[in-house]
Formats: sequence, C-alpha cells, structure tokens
Amino acid sequence: MKRIESKLNTSSAEFQANFEHNRRLAEEFKEKQHKVRYDRPQRDIDRLAKQNKMLVRDRIKQLLDPGTPFLEFSSLAANDAYDGEVPGAGCVTGIGIVSGREVVINAGDASVKGGAWYPLTVKKTVRALDIAIENRLPVVHLCDSAGGFLPLQAELFADKYYAGRIFRNQCMLSKMGVQQVSVVLGHCTAGGAYVPGLSDYNVIVRGTGAIFLAGPPLVKAATGEEVTVDELGGCDMHTSVSGTADYPASSEEEAIAIARDIVAQFKQPEKSRIEWLPPEAPFYDPSELYGVLPRDIKQQFDMHEVIARLVDGSRFHEYQPAYGTTLICGYAHLWGYKIGILANNGVLLNDSALKGAHFIELCNQARTPILFLQNITGFMVGKEYERRGITKDGAKMIMAVSNCEVPKFTLMCHGSFGAGNYGMSGRAFDSRFMFSWPQSQISVMGAEQAANTLADVKIRQLAKQGKELTPEAIAAIRDPVLGEFKRKQSAYWATSEIWDDGMLDPVDTRHALGIAISAALNTPIGDPRYGVFRM
Amino acid sequence: MNSWPFRSVLVANRGEIAVRILRTVQALGLEGVVVYHAADRHSPAVRMADKAIEITGKTPVAAYLDGEQIIAAAKSAGAGAIHPGYGFLSENTGFARAVAAAGLTFVGPTPEQIDLMGDKVRARAFVEAGGFPVAPSAIEDDDPATFVERARKVPLPLLIKPAAGGGGKGMRIVRDLNVLEAEIERARSEGQRYFGDGRLYVECYVENPRHIEVQVLGDAHGNVVHLFERECSVQRRFQKIVEETPSPALTPELRAKICETAAGIARKAGYRNAGTVEFIFGQRGEFYFLEMNTRLQVEHPVTEMITGKDLVHEQLRIAAGEQLGYTQADIKSTGHAIEYRIYAEDPARGYTPTTGPILKLRTPNNVRIDSGIVEGGEVTAAFDPMLAKVIVTGVDRDDAIANSDRALAEYVLLGCQTNTAFLRRLINHPAFIAGDVHTGFLDANPDIAAEPALTESTLHKLLAAAAISTRPMRDVADTVPSLHAAIGDWRN
Amino acid sequence: MHHAFKIDKNEYDLGLSRSEDGYRLHFGDATVPVNLHVEDDGTAVLTVNGRSERVVIATRGDDVFIHLGGAAYQLRYEHPLDRLAAQAQGGAEDNVRAPMPGSLVAAHVKAGDSVVRGQALLVIESMKMETTIAAPRDGIVQAVQFTAGQTFDRDALLISLQAATPEAAGE
Repeated sequence: MKRIESKLNTSSAEFQANFEHNRRLAEEFKEKQHKVRYDRPQRDIDRLAKQNKMLVRDRIKQLLDPGTPFLEFSSLAANDAYDGEVPGAGCVTGIGIVSGREVVINAGDASVKGGAWYPLTVKKTVRALDIAIENRLPVVHLCDSAGGFLPLQAELFADKYYAGRIFRNQCMLSKMGVQQVSVVLGHCTAGGAYVPGLSDYNVIVRGTGAIFLAGPPLVKAATGEEVTVDELGGCDMHTSVSGTADYPASSEEEAIAIARDIVAQFKQPEKSRIEWLPPEAPFYDPSELYGVLPRDIKQQFDMHEVIARLVDGSRFHEYQPAYGTTLICGYAHLWGYKIGILANNGVLLNDSALKGAHFIELCNQARTPILFLQNITGFMVGKEYERRGITKDGAKMIMAVSNCEVPKFTLMCHGSFGAGNYGMSGRAFDSRFMFSWPQSQISVMGAEQAANTLADVKIRQLAKQGKELTPEAIAAIRDPVLGEFKRKQSAYWATSEIWDDGMLDPVDTRHALGIAISAALNTPIGDPRYGVFRM
Repeated sequence: MNSWPFRSVLVANRGEIAVRILRTVQALGLEGVVVYHAADRHSPAVRMADKAIEITGKTPVAAYLDGEQIIAAAKSAGAGAIHPGYGFLSENTGFARAVAAAGLTFVGPTPEQIDLMGDKVRARAFVEAGGFPVAPSAIEDDDPATFVERARKVPLPLLIKPAAGGGGKGMRIVRDLNVLEAEIERARSEGQRYFGDGRLYVECYVENPRHIEVQVLGDAHGNVVHLFERECSVQRRFQKIVEETPSPALTPELRAKICETAAGIARKAGYRNAGTVEFIFGQRGEFYFLEMNTRLQVEHPVTEMITGKDLVHEQLRIAAGEQLGYTQADIKSTGHAIEYRIYAEDPARGYTPTTGPILKLRTPNNVRIDSGIVEGGEVTAAFDPMLAKVIVTGVDRDDAIANSDRALAEYVLLGCQTNTAFLRRLINHPAFIAGDVHTGFLDANPDIAAEPALTESTLHKLLAAAAISTRPMRDVADTVPSLHAAIGDWRN
Repeated sequence: MHHAFKIDKNEYDLGLSRSEDGYRLHFGDATVPVNLHVEDDGTAVLTVNGRSERVVIATRGDDVFIHLGGAAYQLRYEHPLDRLAAQAQGGAEDNVRAPMPGSLVAAHVKAGDSVVRGQALLVIESMKMETTIAAPRDGIVQAVQFTAGQTFDRDALLISLQAATPEAAGE
C-alpha cells in the first residue's frame, strides 16, 4: 500500500470557502446536538431531582468505564417530528465500554415527557437491539419510562416492527447467548415490564423502581383492588417474593455499580480475526475534509481526497485503478483493521458496476470488511448503456452487496440519489452501521429534478385542458414541492426518521468507524454465498 | 584471647541486641546459644544461633524475665556464660547472683555494683559522697517524715522520680508547689504499680536539659577507661530516639571534664565490665549525675563506630578475667556517628505503637544496621516497638547528617508504620542541624511529629501506584480492548 | 468515579483506565498518564506524567503499602459495592474499634446490655497507659470481642452494637 498523493491546494480560495462552509455546518450540527442532549425545561429537571433520579447522561457516565469512548446512535432522532418536543426521541442508545466489554446501551430519558415511548422512540430502540443482534453485543438497559405515548399508539403498537419487536429482539439475543442486564430506575409498566422480564439479569432501585403489568390506577379500575406502587411491584417484593428482579439496590449509584459488576461476569466475546496492523493516524489532517467537500451538492470532487483523510497513514492499495474509474475500489487500514473501500467518483457505469461487484466478491473471499463512501447521483441512463446491459450490471452489484457475508459500513458523504444508493449498500442492505455527514442529502432524485418533473406533469395536464401557465403560476406549483423535497432529503430529516444511525462531524468519522468495526467483529464471518448474477 | 574459660555463651535477650551479641560471640569462635519465646520462633537471632532453646511464660515478656528457666537453659546447652543484653534481667541483682551461684559467668558487673546503681537513691548518695556533681534534691529515704517539706525547698521546677525506676518511666514534673503533694501521691502509686516500690526522690529539674552520657569500661584489676560521650537529647516520653557522638554541645574542655567525671565515678565503684554514666547537662554548661546503667546500652554502636572498639568483645574478655590491656591514651575518637532508633509507631498520633506484617524490608547499603526483624515477620503488641537501629557515620556532623538523610530515605519497611519519615523531618530541622537540641526539643517543635499534608503530586503518585497494584481496578482497565483504550474519553 | 482509596481518614474517589501505552489515573477533573513496571528484584518503576521514579510496593488484602520519595504510605482500597452498600446502612457507629494496639484491662458491659452515648464500655492498656473506651451512641451491646488480658492490634473490633432500628435512629 502506498500513500495517496493529495492533489488539493489547501490555500486555494475554493478550498477555503468549502472549509468555512462545512466547518460552520459541523458547528451548527454540534450546537443542535448539544441542545437536544442538555436543554430541558427547568420543571422537568426539578421533577427528577425531587424524585431522587439522576439525569440519563449522568447515569450513563456512571455506568461506563472511565477513559473510554461512547459512540452514540441517532442523537438527533425525532428532531423534525412531534414539533421538536421529543429530543433524541426520548432515549439514548449507543455502544460503550462497561467493565471492559463492548455493550449496547439502551437508556430511557425520563427528562423528555417522562420517558414516554413515541413511535420514533420504539424505532430507535428496535434499531439498537437489531445492532446488538447483528453484532452480538451484550445490552445494558437503563429502564425509566412512562410507557407508550397513547395519542400515537396506532403508530407504535400493532405492527411487526413496532413495540413488540423490542421484546422479540430481546428473546433472540437470549437465544443467541448474548446477555442483557436491565437496571430498573423508574416504573416499568405494561410492555415496559418485559424489558427487565426478558433480561438475563436485572437490578431494581428501592423506592423509585417498579415492575408491573399495570400500575395502581389501572389495577383499581380493572378489579377495584387498592394497592401501592411498592406493594404491587416494588424492589423488595420482586427481589424476595416473586423473583422477577435479581438484585435490590438502595440508590441509583449502587444499582449501576451492581450492573457493572454483573457485566464483569459476562463471558468475553470471541472476536473474528481479520487482518490487522498497529494503527496509525492519517498522513493528511482529517480536518481538511471540511475543505474537500464542495458547497454545492451537484459538484463533483475526488473521493481519493476523502479516503486519504480517513485511513491509516493515508495509505491505499487501489484495485483496477484504470478501469471503471467512477468507482474507486481498494484496500486500506482503519484503526489497524484491514478494510475494503468502495467510493463513488461519478455516476455508476457498466464497468464501475462490474468492478464493484467483483471487488465485493474479493473482499468476501478474504474476509475483509467493506466501507462504502457514498456520493452517487445514480446509474448512467440512455440507449447505449441499456444496450450494454447497465441494468444487468447494476443488478450484479446489488446482488453482491445484498449477499455480502463480511460486515459492511456505509457513510453518506455527499449525495445519495436513486438506485445508486442500493448498489452502495443503502439502509435496506443491512450495513451494520450507517452514518451521515451534515451536508449530505438522500432522495430518489435531486430536488430540482423532482420538482421540475412534478411541475412538468401538472403543466402538461393543464395544457391538455388548454390552460397556459404564467411563470408565477409555475413557480407556485413548483416551489412547495421543491421546499418539501429539500426538507425531506436533508441529513437532518434522514436522521430524524432514523434512516441512519446518526450524523457525524466529518472529523469524528475515524473514531466512529474504528469503534463500529471493532463491534462488528463479535460476529463470526461466514463463507460467501451469492444468488444468481445475471451475466 | 587465646583460650576462653567458657566455650559457649547464652544470650538471654531477643530482637536486635540478641543478633548483635551473637554476631561477636560467633566471630570469636565461641558457640552462641539463645533462648526464645514462641513469638520469636522465626526471628533472626534464633536462626543465627548455634543452639536455640524455647522458654515459656504467661506472656512473652514474662518468659524473658524468668531467670530460673534461663539458667536451666544455659546449663542444658552447656553454656558457660550468660550475656543479659539490655532491659529484661540485665540489671537484676538477684539474677546476677543466681548465675554466679549456678557456676556460670555473668557478662556484666558484680551483683553488688548492679545493686548499688540500681537503687537510684543509693547511687545518688554514693556519687555525691565521692565529690561528683549531683542536682539539688530531696531523698525520701533520708527522712521520710520530712520528705515533702524538703521537697518544697528544691528549686522549681522539680522532678519527682521513683527510686526503683529507670528508663524514664514514672517521672512527673512539678512547676507549681500547690500540686506537689498530689503529684507525690500519684508518683508513689505508679512507682508501686510499675516497679513494685513506691519510694521516691525529688530533683531540681533542669529546663531544656541535654542528656549526655559516657561509656566506661572496667576490668577486675581496677583498670577503668572511658570511651567518650554520647548525646541522647532527642527523646519522646523520656525514651531516646536519636543518639550521637561526639556531642555538638561540648567544647573539648567540657568533654574531657564530663568523661573524666564518669571514669572517676566508675573507678570509685571499682566498676567491672561495661557501663554508662548518664548526666543532665544544662544550657549554661553545668552538669549533674543522673544515673549509672550497669549494662550494655541500646546506643552503644555509635561509640563503637568512632573508637573502632567492639564493646561486646570487650565485655566478654573482661568477663573471662582478662585485663583491659590498654590505657585511656590509647583510645581515640575519629569522625562522627549518629544512631536512629526505628520504632513501630505513629509520631503524628502521639507516637502510639503500630503493628502489622513486615511485607517488604529493604535496607540501605554502606550503613550499619542492627536489626531484629526480617521480611515476612510480624510486628505485634507483644514487645517493645523498637525494631532496629540505623547507625550512620561521617567525617563530621554535617557529613553524617547528609548520609543519614539518604540512609533513612532508603530504609524501606512496608506493612507496619515506622518513624523513618519523622526522623528525616527531624534531622532536616534547622535546630537539629545547628546542634541545638535538648530533651524537650520534640515537644517544643510539634511540627516535626506532625504529618505534612500530601501534595497533589504525591497524591497522584500514590493513587496511581495503588490503583495499578489493586486487582479489581487493574483487571477492569486491562480488559478494555486496545482500540478503545487508545481512543480514550471521546464522544461523537 | 467508582473506586476509592482511604489514606488515614481521607477518602479519595478515583478511576483507572487503560491507555495506548499504559494507564490513566482519573482523579477529580484530572486525567493523568501513569504506568507501573515491576522489575525482577521486586522494586517497581512508577511513571506519572512522564516522570519516573523507583518505588517499593507491597499489598495485603485491601491494603497497599507504598514506599515513595523516602517515606512509606498506607492506602486502603474501597470497592464500589462495599462503599455504596455501607452508605445505605450508615454502619460506622455500630463497631467500636481499638484506637491503638494493646490489651483489654476490663469490660464494664456484656452482650445484651443497654448503653447510652458516652457511657464507659471498657478499659484498655497500651504502653503502660490506660484508656477508657466510651459508647459512640445509644444502643444495645451485641458482643464484646475480647476478654481481660487478651491483646489486639489497632482498629481491631472491640465491641459491636446492634444495628440501630429506624425509630431509634432519631434524626
């Protein structure tokens, strides 16, 4: 592997303008994230203090080993939903180190609507447990929730991937031999009672923790029985009479300390062995990424410059450097791990699609995890390409991506439009982790193109009826469509809907990917097997 | 010595002094026997001795006070002489007599000399009669009826002392005549309780006195020499902590005067074997006889270092009947020597004794260490808390002090708290460096005993070392994968 | 932070994490790079913030003894679970411990006796000084651990009082 030769002029006006633009976007992202994490109405903070409850991030801090990283997922989930009143979708999930082990953390945020489960809360929780299953990571649940948000129950209760999926996932983890511990720090009511119920171990705090299928008011309504919270499902009853809870604790600190001690008993995972060399920082400064990314989504840039600022020593072994040049394929090390990289440098053509499929097979053959760096406007269209079989070639690439046995990681670097998203391992293709950069966009086609297309349809309709439209009238049809498109193709929308596992400041990408790759290696890597490649 | 009248010597003692005596006994080609209580089974003296005989008692200390058992042990081991060390039975007239009666040689003075000097009142009278200086006083025995009245006349401040006492125990200072009678009563009941004898005497108390003593040696043929003085002013609760020679307080003239006085007293008593004459030395250069110890003293090594003489060897020769063979002029003093007593105690908490296992013991090189402990042993409340003596020399006092700081810093004993850090603070105190000490020095400078607060830097070092050495902490840290360890505390 | 060490009466919260080439000490707001390398002869080299020095360390149970900079120190480890459980019970005043090593002269109470705060419980002797030990609070004697004449070390448990009941706890 030799070092990528950077062709950037970091003192050019273009570079400087891009740098300022992207640095500001990253700053705005960080500010939004900070607000979502820490701004809470004073009355909610006071309420928790009166109940002797710690804030969720303080609980996580106590839980995690000192001097270790915490990779948080979907910090801006629900940022463009529910009028912005449910920051982070009311829960905190991520991968952290507890007693030396990589674990998934699933923590309710009682400072947001009492920790009630909104539809996106459920989606975020299910996603966290899917990550635990796919990567065989133990889970620590910090339970503190008011239960399902009733007004939106139709969007979180009945369907296959709604709330029931949380408990189904817990059972799957248990079946796989991947352990879970729950710390009951508040009420676990109705469905929520199953979180500790389905955990291999659980701890409950005396006074504030409770587990019951229905709380005292519902019990009274159902059978007329009058009973207190503690009598019905409190710490001492469940740890000494019913055996539903395993360890009593007299404070949150003690409960978390017990949970840490429980995790210390978990067996250490057998890591899949892949090629590895001692890690090395990139030769080029990662902050230069701000200057690499153009201010305009439609403008092209050389992905080599991005790769050079992510990988160890900026060293890269490029596969088929002269063929299919709109798709860069090659090997590099990231935080020591050897990975294969596919990165877009233009539209996907026949040769680049074939090269991509072939390279994915090479990576599977050698047990090399794959990183997809997306910046794709789509496959090439037109008669010549169809005759050459662009549809077949795209299909081959998608077949390879879908049947990949090695872990995949996807990064939305810039644009992700159309079927190119699929070939580059979009959300539907089971990447273990997917992250987005703040300026990235994702939709079936570009906003202008879509707005023009839709306006076009309307204009021809009206023309058939003999109506001619003024430029203002055209704009009146076109602009709302454009606005709506732009909103729903932004990284903020994607992350709000949990189409990814979180947004990242570009300079944080290396650490995030390193942690992700390490987590992914808890699962054995099987032998490659593909369906039929349409030749 | 060509042929010894005894082939084997029994050491009736323990700890560091037993080791030290055995060392000379064996170096001379004699057999060394030691008695021991079970608590000392694994002690260095027992391991070193050619023969070791177990003795028993209601308490460990009681065993070493059982003269009968000890003499029986000597006989069964075929030992021809008994060296009593210091403390225990070393100044017990009855024991000395019993040893002689058993046909064994007692390595020490005659029973009569022990008796004379053991009774502080008689000793004082004997010395005064010889024209040697004593402090103004009132002796109860002279006339018990007028004792309190005569005590009132002794210049204040005065010191009430038990006649049968020693080693600084049972003494009371009186500065106000109103409490004199009450204090006399208390002193009497303590004297009765600790020494079995309630008789008292009262002495003028010299304020901020220095404690200066002189080593003497006498043979059975009337020859007596002194081996210069030792200053032992640094004390706590009347027990010595640091002893040195020469004394920084003495001019050559005063030195000669005090040493000659001591030799004179020993000569007058016809003193045989090793002994020490102790004086109270005032700030104006006046000195008074305090007491005479008719045994080898704890701090004898400093005398050995400056004179080059092995005092135990001299004791054995004299006990074997030999003449000294040298005159006062033959005894020279070279350089400076300081001895530090390593105590198992906590100076910051009133010097309360400490206990614990001796987990690690590392001693400095190029320094004499007389020690009764080994790594793996245990310091218990069964015996006196003195563990070892560190004896440092130098070409002069400043040199010796510099060497002392290094030696004490390098003396490592882990598992039981000792006074080594305190000793370093002591010798670095400007007054000590200036030689400006007296017996009240430590009380007057409580900052020496006080433990200095931990600096942030030291605290970090201690916590770091402790954390890494503690399995629960280190195991958790070690389990973290290397990637996460390298990334450290990071959040996205 | 989870763990703690006690030096004399002071408790210090701390954490230890692994770093790329050693460890980090987490104490207060500070994160300090540290390492300890034990040599064959039993001495160790302690490195803190890049500066190294020789130390000697011995451990026994929860006690860590360290010789550093010419002085000896003793630290007692407190496991997080023990500390947090103890906080819940507040048991410091249930156990009466020896302030210094010594022997028991006389016990004025026996198991089952009711005592008030300040009442003389027993007399101990050390270094020929007698000390009277008084009750730290009102309560009932659970057990007297030594008989007259027996010796003990500093911190030895002399008398245990029954755990205070909620009503008796007063304030």
